[in-house]
Amino acid sequence: MNASDLPSSVRRLLGSLVDASVRERIAISVAALFASLLVGAVVIMAAGLVATCKEPFLALGGSSFCYDPWEVYYQLFVSPFLNDFNTALMLKETTLLLFTGLAVAVAFRAGLFNIGAQGQLVFGALGSALAVLWGAAFVPTGVVGSLVLIPFGLVVGAVVGGLYGAVPGLLKAYADANEVITTIMLNFVATNVAFYLVSTYFKDPASQSVETKSVPAVAQLKPVLGRFESTSFSVWALLTGLALVVVIYYLLFHTSFGYDMRISGIQPAAAAYGGVDAERLVVGSMVLSGALSGLAGAVYVLMVLGRWRTGIPAVGFDGITVSILASNNPLGVVPAAFLFGILKSGSLSISFALGVPKQLVGVLRGLIILFVAMPEFFRMVGLKLGVGDRQPVATDGGRPVEGGDDDE
Amino acid sequence: MNEPVVELDGITKRFGDVVANDRVELTVDRGSVHVLLGENGAGKTTLMNVLYGLYEPNEGEIRIDGTPREFDSPRDAIDAGIGMIHQHFMLVDPMTVADNVVLGNEPRSRLGFTVDREAAREAVTDLTARYGFDVEPDAVVEDLSVGVQQRVEILKALYRGADILILDEPTAVLTPQEVEELFDIFDELTDQGKTIIFITHKLGEALGVADAITVLRDGETVGTVDTSTTSKRELAELMVGREVLLDVEKPPSSPGDVGLEVSDLTVTDDRGVDQVSSLDFQIREGEVFGIAGVDGNGQSELVEAITGLDVPDEGRVYFDGADVTTDSRRDRIEQGMAYIPEDRQHRGLVMDFELLQNGLLGSQHDPDFAPGGRIDWATLRQHVEDIIADYDVRPPNPDATAKSLSGGNQQKLVAGREFERDPRVVVASHPTRGLDVGSVEFVQEKLVELRNEGKAVLLVSSKLDEVQQLSDRLGVMYEGAFTDVVDPDDVTEEQLGLLMAGQDADGVTSVPAGDFEAEAEVGR
Repeated sequence: MNASDLPSSVRRLLGSLVDASVRERIAISVAALFASLLVGAVVIMAAGLVATCKEPFLALGGSSFCYDPWEVYYQLFVSPFLNDFNTALMLKETTLLLFTGLAVAVAFRAGLFNIGAQGQLVFGALGSALAVLWGAAFVPTGVVGSLVLIPFGLVVGAVVGGLYGAVPGLLKAYADANEVITTIMLNFVATNVAFYLVSTYFKDPASQSVETKSVPAVAQLKPVLGRFESTSFSVWALLTGLALVVVIYYLLFHTSFGYDMRISGIQPAAAAYGGVDAERLVVGSMVLSGALSGLAGAVYVLMVLGRWRTGIPAVGFDGITVSILASNNPLGVVPAAFLFGILKSGSLSISFALGVPKQLVGVLRGLIILFVAMPEFFRMVGLKLGVGDRQPVATDGGRPVEGGDDDE
Repeated sequence: MNEPVVELDGITKRFGDVVANDRVELTVDRGSVHVLLGENGAGKTTLMNVLYGLYEPNEGEIRIDGTPREFDSPRDAIDAGIGMIHQHFMLVDPMTVADNVVLGNEPRSRLGFTVDREAAREAVTDLTARYGFDVEPDAVVEDLSVGVQQRVEILKALYRGADILILDEPTAVLTPQEVEELFDIFDELTDQGKTIIFITHKLGEALGVADAITVLRDGETVGTVDTSTTSKRELAELMVGREVLLDVEKPPSSPGDVGLEVSDLTVTDDRGVDQVSSLDFQIREGEVFGIAGVDGNGQSELVEAITGLDVPDEGRVYFDGADVTTDSRRDRIEQGMAYIPEDRQHRGLVMDFELLQNGLLGSQHDPDFAPGGRIDWATLRQHVEDIIADYDVRPPNPDATAKSLSGGNQQKLVAGREFERDPRVVVASHPTRGLDVGSVEFVQEKLVELRNEGKAVLLVSSKLDEVQQLSDRLGVMYEGAFTDVVDPDDVTEEQLGLLMAGQDADGVTSVPAGDFEAEAEVGR
């Protein structure tokens, strides 16, 4: 596919996306958000027209509308900030997605599509839970216990996730196996092996479900702030996530290793020329990505459940969307994860407060994410095709330059 | 004659803040060969893309046969009788010549559902007969040589009814013989009333084939000259804007110890075919060893084995006597190897990175630039600014992206980065390919300077005048081995041409490829 095959109108549109400045891109995202709300409102009205209810909010002639778009959006976007329970829910989701969003973004930057964040998270969570249960016997209770056990649990989660991330990395580096395929498959492996291990060896005998024993209270991440008492959100975990955003940003853009990752991601031939060992870089990047996913698993165990239980939510998969929304920039992961947190908490409020079916809420969330992500997506397409004219097309003996993507 | 068929009047094309074409004037007469001459980045291709409808000009008017026209897309330009042959062919390799020529405008069978292959074949046969092209309509494109593929591209344009043919640097990919054949085709086409606009930066070609030459510099028209009243020197000055030395000065060499040695080197490709077979040579410090040959005779594979991008199947590579055959690319950089790759846009530069970050490529683990693994931006910026100043990289902006630079300036940046490493061994693969005279002069002088400073320099180039001028010894490569190693001052271009074709050339005196035992004596 060549840019010159496209109709000029399409070329111009893609070109203007490619040429957009950071500020314009943020403006586009905000505009897309509002557009999605408008389209969503139409969907809400239409769904309300079809549904039957006792008290429609609006009756026009013979037809009645059950759901009030204003009310729905109010619950979706405002209620997460209104009471502490909803806010904690929002921040819990944001925290977990910071880790997995970063995990996927780091791999993307190195040119690797890590769909296996979920599997790495599941194993990281299990490793963390078992390590803390084992280690609890050796440490005293109280603050000392927390200071030892919590970092220990987090580190073990990261190590286990990193090791599991190394598997597709090694397969890609030394056996030329596409990481997209292997990571998808390893997700199933992780889920099922973890299920087998827990149900056979580590099951809490007192419990009906497949879950480990609860980790001791000293090892659990506490809410810290009084207003989040008895919620499963910890300010410490959020701060850890935000600190990691800064660390990963620094790693990518200010260190030799990050430089190696970025050139490998956008122009592998130049990376080889510059002395990057492609095999080691692939493995290293996947280990880092897996470690971040494993950390998400550890935080899930120590902050949310206090134990490993089968059926871990798809935080790893949501991390992929978060990363795309953030155009794989670590700093962009923060607002993207936050948007997901709002939508998560807000849609629960809708289910509680309004009689709106949860499928409809799912449609609204999907619309919002789709609209906000699409401009970035098409921008990537435009970059790939080499359209846009902020930069004059450099010529090398008359040949238009097509960026770095024409590698054999 | 002298009836203008294409008139570009005051064409201005801007990309953001950059003005690629600034009120360019161009008048082309019917039935002439008009050369558009200029350095890389002078705006030649941009101007032709405007004429071909790929870009919309910001200002100015295009007149074809005196009628003002506006082109929204190449389709409009084709309808107006304009055809453009890009340097990169747009052919479908597994299809036949006839299929490729009619692609997009296929003659239909009576019902209109299928392609009338017979009619297509006939149309192509008619065209080849009419213009005297030696092209077989049933041949499959991927089996054809580059020169013939180019003729297929020209046929495609003619089939679509082009009266005005634009050729963008058509000779860059051709052998000298193929260039001659192309110019014969030009004659045939102009005899039949076609008009040819030919983009090049090669002075000799411009003088050899053009009726008129328009010179562009920095996006502006410098002037249009009549071929019969101009000279190479005048054209070079018009292009560059200052006097240019067309010959590089080179003092006699004073070779020292062996800096680079290749011993019994064999590299095979994926199919197990030898690309380089049992090659031996030594390069002394203070010496340029040139390798001439038609592209694809194992030069790239040899260079990759020496620079560490590939591991040879047999044989050894030594730096200063130390075996580096299995050392990684990074090890070799750290041991003092500078390497100008043949494809700067693919390997030598990260196109989406700024010059600043490109200055780090290869040095990202050097403690001077990244102490403790953390990049020292201030030092790097100073270093890149020095390169930009010393190597005259334009625009002199470390924050511009590599892809926004012209080819010559990209190459100057690569050369500056590599040479400023203070290397012991320099490998330059086609270092002046696609560059304009000013940049060619600059890069060549730098290579001689490095040699004079006592570096061992390996120069691979398919430009005969370049390898002949710069080398102290010259190996001619054919199918992975040297046909001969000669003294470049003692050989004619004709003799080199024969050696490059794998034949013996009478009367050539061989020189040794290195100090080997008797069996390694050259002159296979």
